[in-house]
Amino acid sequence: MAEFTLDCLGEACPVPLMKTEKKLEGLAVGDILIVSIDHSCAMKNIPEWARKQGHNVEIDEVDDGEWEVVIEKTK
Amino acid sequence: MPETGQASSGSSIRRSTSSSRRKPKKNQIPLGMLVVALMVVVGLVQANREPMLGFYWMMGGIFGFILQKSRFCFTASMRDPCITGSTSVTRAVLIAFAITTIMFTAIKFGYASMGLPVPGMSYVTPISFATAAGGILFGIGMVIAGGCASGTLMRVGEGFFMQILSLFFFVVGSLVGAAHFGWWKEKFIIHGPSVFLPDVFGWVGAVVVQLLIIACLYKAAVLWEEKKIGGTQD
Amino acid sequence: MKAFFDKLGKNETYVKIFKTPFTYLTGAILLSIFQVVSLGVTGDPWGVSGTFANWGAWLYRLVGGSVDRWYYFSSAGAQAVLDRGFLNDPGTMRNLGIIFGALAAVLLASQFKIKKIKSKKQIVAAVLGGFLMGYGARLAYGCNIGALYSAIASLSLSGWAFAVFLFIGSFFGSKLLRKFFM
Repeated sequence: MAEFTLDCLGEACPVPLMKTEKKLEGLAVGDILIVSIDHSCAMKNIPEWARKQGHNVEIDEVDDGEWEVVIEKTK
Repeated sequence: MPETGQASSGSSIRRSTSSSRRKPKKNQIPLGMLVVALMVVVGLVQANREPMLGFYWMMGGIFGFILQKSRFCFTASMRDPCITGSTSVTRAVLIAFAITTIMFTAIKFGYASMGLPVPGMSYVTPISFATAAGGILFGIGMVIAGGCASGTLMRVGEGFFMQILSLFFFVVGSLVGAAHFGWWKEKFIIHGPSVFLPDVFGWVGAVVVQLLIIACLYKAAVLWEEKKIGGTQD
Repeated sequence: MKAFFDKLGKNETYVKIFKTPFTYLTGAILLSIFQVVSLGVTGDPWGVSGTFANWGAWLYRLVGGSVDRWYYFSSAGAQAVLDRGFLNDPGTMRNLGIIFGALAAVLLASQFKIKKIKSKKQIVAAVLGGFLMGYGARLAYGCNIGALYSAIASLSLSGWAFAVFLFIGSFFGSKLLRKFFM
């Protein structure tokens, strides 16, 4: 039940998603990954990808144009 | 429980830290309305000088708005299948192709059957080695630059400095391309055929063939995503 | 005043239209509608990159160059566009409109943020990627809009040909991206 963060602020498409995929691979089931992003595409494609994988996902808008995508690895 | 900017019934994921909001969010709606007002003014001023200028400005504004709100990205349609296996944007692009084809053809056919010159024919261009080279160069460029032509303009509007740089060099590259265009035209383009599908299949046939191709690509995209990610519930 | 805008920002209808992202499908439908509006009103589908060549020509003139002997700009139509200038060019208005339309969209959703360049890698990627796009678009008579979307919708085989090579280029671009620009 560990919690990890991933800072993807300022990254260009599709780097946030690529980094998220990679990081999530190394996590255990039940772990939580919090990805910080400021890319409008990423706030759509990261949750979409994570949900398709079957994980629990939530998006928090933490500031104008900044989000935290919270992913709970379920499998 | 982290507070969200959108309507939410509270987080179901238990996290130890609350969301890292540093300061109260500024409401940018007034600024947004100001920009819209400015756009209207510019549109009216330009339209007054020449109606088409105002129309093109308005179309740009509408396209920019739609692109940003839907995060529509042609780059993603081609890149995502390669990088993550996701084809949701690919499928949306295919749907856009299909709908626009039907509507365009209706208009074109209307003009043709009235014996009038068909609009949009300047977009039927020769196919040659230049098409291939151009496609490959553009494909590489759009993926590494993080956006295609429309995507770059959209991201400039969203505040990405990287795309301002990309736009500048897009312009430079266009100029160099224009400088070399004569050479490409003479060596390759002039030998290439321009193929307007209705000339080959007839008006109805062309639309049917094209929609069939799009349908096949759509199915392929669905299967591809299922293979790479598993499940395409959208 | 502030309270009004805060209330507006939380209004359910406002949020649905201006804050929540559209689905890709909605985007596809709306783009199609306005593509057709373009064709109907202007006689041509949407195009983006042709205008960039003109911007290049005007910039080049500013630094003392001239494109008047170039084959690309030799047609009467092309010369006329250049002579009318930046402020009178419809293509320019449309491309600038896209920038401002996107700006308006993010501001109305209160999602605007300046994203500065983060690394040297991004600089190289933007310079190289931008240049390749510009050059490639001239060879292919257009970009992802003019040579792909509009061409295919116009039932031109060139659109499909371009699509094939665009995909090949994207494939190699993805490899490059993974290796050097991540």
